[in-house]
Amino acid sequence: MKYMLSFTVNGAPADVAVGPTETLLDVLRDRLGFTGAKRGCETGDCGACTVLVDGRSVRSCITLALTVQGKAVTTVEGLARDGKPHPLQQAFHDHGASQCGFCTPGMIVSLAELLEKNPEPCRDDARAAIAGNLCRCTGYVKIIDAAMAAARSPHKKGGPA
Amino acid sequence: MTAYYAPKTPAETLALLSAHAPDCALLAGGTDLVPKLKSGAAAPGTLVYIGSAGLDYIRQEESRLIVGAAATWTMLAEHPLVASCAAVLAAAARTPAASSPGVKNAATVGGNLATASPAADLATPLLALDADVRIHSVRGTRTVALGDFFTGPGKTVLLPDELICAVSIPLCGGISVFEKIGRRKAMSISVVNTAVRLVLEQGRCREARIALGSVAPVPLRCREAEDMLIGKEPGRELFQACGAEALRACSPIDDAAATAWYRRTAGAALVARALGRAAGLPGTPEE
Repeated sequence: MKYMLSFTVNGAPADVAVGPTETLLDVLRDRLGFTGAKRGCETGDCGACTVLVDGRSVRSCITLALTVQGKAVTTVEGLARDGKPHPLQQAFHDHGASQCGFCTPGMIVSLAELLEKNPEPCRDDARAAIAGNLCRCTGYVKIIDAAMAAARSPHKKGGPA
Repeated sequence: MTAYYAPKTPAETLALLSAHAPDCALLAGGTDLVPKLKSGAAAPGTLVYIGSAGLDYIRQEESRLIVGAAATWTMLAEHPLVASCAAVLAAAARTPAASSPGVKNAATVGGNLATASPAADLATPLLALDADVRIHSVRGTRTVALGDFFTGPGKTVLLPDELICAVSIPLCGGISVFEKIGRRKAMSISVVNTAVRLVLEQGRCREARIALGSVAPVPLRCREAEDMLIGKEPGRELFQACGAEALRACSPIDDAAATAWYRRTAGAALVARALGRAAGLPGTPEE
């Protein structure tokens, strides 16, 4: 049985017929082409699939698509504004905070939520924000460096919530 | 083929449950259920999503704090009423030791209780706060003390057509403390967790609660250990003896997270530390 799901992705409306057990990650990647969110552990542990739903980070791999009915989803693709990278994206670039890059979208989305809630985080706040984002390359120090640099940026707020 | 419903009210939810139980699963944050749906461990004929059924509230009703079943861990961690009326619940919801922001934004208090993990990190604070579970069905309403709610690992007194509508917490006095030990500092199932509550009067314990998790088939209160404290002056030796007594009431097991011996030993120390923090004993390690 399929049900019509209407929601917005990065500010643009989307209507998709989905099954009850399809995940938000499946719909974003396979149906709508937003491949920024990565398919990692598939059990909500690794954080690679993190996206924002109404401004709150969630694990899209364990979020059933139909539960975001009418809500606003933001993926890493939606964080840039006016053609310019989000300050976190720029800071990750500047600080060498991506190695293989697989965890990067989830890291950036989790940290974007932090900066919205707490514009002046300390390093421990940033660590707690990415407590559920695993980096197999173990590049955590540079990720936290980048988060702190982005927090100092005057344009730290992101794109569509 | 699974059918999906997203009722808008608790009454609609109960009608759906009544019509489709027992081949029906309630979906809230999905942090436990969705991995089971994906692995095939759960395959209900009907999914009822309760995230838009008006159950995600936190409010005060006279002398009780009422937390709707679909209130998330993030709501518990951030809501000023929880901070002022049930600080130990906010502390447990806030610690990164339990889970990540992305899971806490979805996971709910009702789900944490209904899943009935022996290691559930919200169960021990709610036991220490004397919480009740408000259970509704089309047949009526009942209130069950949380201490009587769990019947085994993954098992509760809930019948197939029943819904946890809310958790009800009396505004009880005293100072409460939550402590947990996991394998890591973040994102870790509890090897052992505890919540204690002490009411001190003229330098003596008037009332005490000690709840332990992950050391028995269900999260439980240790009444013999609580009784040891009544009328006594707080002190390190008393609290250590009390911790040892609390673990005598438990039946920990060896599993992938820890051995029974470790749970017993660390659990006794954890109870003593939590009591020391609650009583404000000097030299007690912080969280």
